[in-house]
Amino acid sequence: MSEFHVDMGPQYEGEAIRREDVQVEFGGPKIPHKFELVTLKGPDEVEHEKIEVIGPDIKDIEEGASSPLAILIDVAGEELEKDMEPVLERRIHMYSNYIEGFWHVAQRDDIWIRLSKSAFKKGLNSLREIGEMLIFLFTSELDIIEKISVTLITDEEKIKELLPHALEVYGARDARARELSDEDVDEFYGCILCQAFAPTHICFITPDRMANCGAISWFDGRAAYKLDPEGPVFAVPKGELIDAARGEYSGVNLAAKDKSLGSVERVYLYSSFGYPHTSCGCFQSICFYIPEVDAFGLVNRDFVGETVMGLPFSRMAGETSGGRQVEGSCGMGLEYLRSPKFFQADGGFGRMVWMPKDIKERYRDAIPEDLYDKIATEEDVKNTDELAKFLERVGHPWVKGEVEIPD
Amino acid sequence: MSITIAVAGKGGTGKTAISALLAALLAKESPPVLAVDGDPATNLHQALGLPLDDETNTIGGIRELMEEKITRAEFAPGTDKQAWLDARIFEGLVESVGLDFLAMGRSESQGCYCAVNHMLRYVLDKLAGNYQYVVIDNEAGMEHISRQTTRDVDVLLIISDPTARGISAAVRTRKLIDDLRTNVGQIYLVVNRLAGDISPQMGDLIAGAGLDLLVTIPEDPNMASLETEGRPLTELPPDSPLRRAVVDIAAKTGLLAGKPRT
Repeated sequence: MSEFHVDMGPQYEGEAIRREDVQVEFGGPKIPHKFELVTLKGPDEVEHEKIEVIGPDIKDIEEGASSPLAILIDVAGEELEKDMEPVLERRIHMYSNYIEGFWHVAQRDDIWIRLSKSAFKKGLNSLREIGEMLIFLFTSELDIIEKISVTLITDEEKIKELLPHALEVYGARDARARELSDEDVDEFYGCILCQAFAPTHICFITPDRMANCGAISWFDGRAAYKLDPEGPVFAVPKGELIDAARGEYSGVNLAAKDKSLGSVERVYLYSSFGYPHTSCGCFQSICFYIPEVDAFGLVNRDFVGETVMGLPFSRMAGETSGGRQVEGSCGMGLEYLRSPKFFQADGGFGRMVWMPKDIKERYRDAIPEDLYDKIATEEDVKNTDELAKFLERVGHPWVKGEVEIPD
Repeated sequence: MSITIAVAGKGGTGKTAISALLAALLAKESPPVLAVDGDPATNLHQALGLPLDDETNTIGGIRELMEEKITRAEFAPGTDKQAWLDARIFEGLVESVGLDFLAMGRSESQGCYCAVNHMLRYVLDKLAGNYQYVVIDNEAGMEHISRQTTRDVDVLLIISDPTARGISAAVRTRKLIDDLRTNVGQIYLVVNRLAGDISPQMGDLIAGAGLDLLVTIPEDPNMASLETEGRPLTELPPDSPLRRAVVDIAAKTGLLAGKPRT
C-alpha cells in the first residue's frame, strides 16, 4: 500500500474528524446537492480502473470549506447481480472509513464526508487518490468485481443534473425491496434486543414480517447483522418450509428453541393461532381475536381510549407482552399490515373487523378496496354487540362466509 | 479510551458552572473534550459560550423524529437507519475549538423502542470514543447515564449547596448509583457556596452517608455579573474561587494527569 499517502484498514473505522481538524468537507447539512451511486454495467461498458474527477479538486478547495460531491462507481462482473448495487453502495461507506483521515457518514443523497488536515499534510490532496484507494479496497476485498471505474464530481451544476437520475434509482430499488417476499431469500433475521424485558422473546424479521417494534425491517436486520455479527440481531437460515400457509420454517423453530432456552419450540409467522409469534413490550400494535364475532381487531400504541373489547391499549398490551405465545393476541409492527402474508392462515385482512380510524386511514392503500368501509372504527361502534350488528349491516365478507381460510 | 466525568446535583447548586469550567479546563490541557448537557433544565452551552442554532437538535429530539418516522412508515426500505441516525447526531453536535457539545434534550418518549435506544447507544458510544474526556452535566436523577449509554463513569461529582436539604439530595443521588447498570469509579461530594466552614452537623450528615467530600467552594463574587449579562462562565477570571476550585478538583481526582486516581 506504499503507493498511497495515508494508511488504510478497519482500525480507522471509528475515527471521527472534528470541525477544527477538517481540511475539506463534502456534502453534509450545508450542501444541498450530493449523492453516491453504484451502477452495475456490462463488461464492455466499464473501463477498468478508470478514474475521472470533474470540478475543483481537494487542493483547489479552501481549507475548512464544504463542497458538493457525487461519487459514481460503475462495476462489472459475471457473477454480479442488479440487487447487489445497494449492498456495494454501502461498501463506499465502509471503505471510505477504512482510509486514514477520511470520514464518511450516511448514504444515498444524504452523504457527509470529511478529510482531515493531517491526511492532507501527508499528501492526500487529490480526489484521484481517493478514487484509487476505493478501487484498491473494492477489488481486493470483493473478488466478484472484475471491472470498476470511479467518477468523483464536485461541480455543483453537474451534480444537480445527475441527482434526479440517482433519486429515480433509489426509488426503483425501494419499490423492488417492497416486493421482496419470504420466498425470495435464504436467510431471515432474529432480534433479541427486548430480552432484557421479555427473556423468552425473539423477534423474527423476514421480508414479509417486520419486527414488532416497526424499527427493524429485513434490510435493517441484514445491515445490523453485518455490522455486528455477535450483536443482538442474528441470522436465521430459513431451513425447510414445514407449513406454507402458517409460515412455519424449521430454521425459525430451531432458532426460537435455542434463543428462548427451550420455552418456545415452534413459531407460525402468519398465524395468530396454534404457535403464534411471541410479543415483547415494544410492539407498535396488537392484533387481537374478538370471540363474539370470531374475527380480528387491531389497536396501535398511540390509540387513546377503549377498544371495542372495552379495554385500552395498555391493558391489552399487558396481556400480550412478556415473550409468551398468546393465541389470538399478537404484538406486531404496523407495516405487517402491508404484507401479503398478514395473518394469511387466519383469513388475513378479510377477517379484520375493527381498527382505530387513524390507522385505517393511514393504511388505506393496504386494505382491500371493497373491505374499507366494512371495517368498523371507534366512531362506528363502542362494544362487541354494536360491532356484530355493524358487520351484519354492512355485509362484512367474513360474516357472509366469503373469506377463504387456506389449509 | 476516553475518561468520563459526570457532574450531578440539583438546580441552583452550580453544577452547570462546574461542568462548564471543568470541560473548558480539560479542553485547554488535553483536547478534545465532549461536553454533554444531560439536564434539559439548564443551559450548559451558554455557560460554555457556544451557540445552539437549533434548540430541538438534541438527542431526545432526534429520537423523537426517528420514532415518528418509524410510526409513519417514512423510512424507505433501502435506508440504513443506523447510518441515518449517525448523520443526524453529527448534525446535532456543536463543534468548537478543543471542545464539542451535545445536548441530550428530553429523555422520556411515548413509544417503547428498545431498537432505537440500542442504535442510539451504539452511535453515542462510538462518538464518545473520539474524545479524551467526556464531561456530562446531569440532572440529579442521572437519567441519561442510566438510559442512554453503557459507558462507565470514571469520576462522579455530586454538587450540593450547604443546606441540609441539599446534602440529603446528594445522598439520594449517591444511593441511585447502586441501581445503575453503569459502573462508577470515584464518587465525590463538592459543597458549593459555602460561607465559612462545614458545620459539625453537616459534617456528620456527610460522613454518615459515606460521602467523600472533595472540596468546598465559597460563593463566587464574579458569578452574578456574568450571569446577569448572559456572558459565558468561561470568562471568569483565573483567580475566581470557582475556577480555582475546578483546578483543585481536576488535580485531586487525578484528571489532569490524564487518568483518574483509582
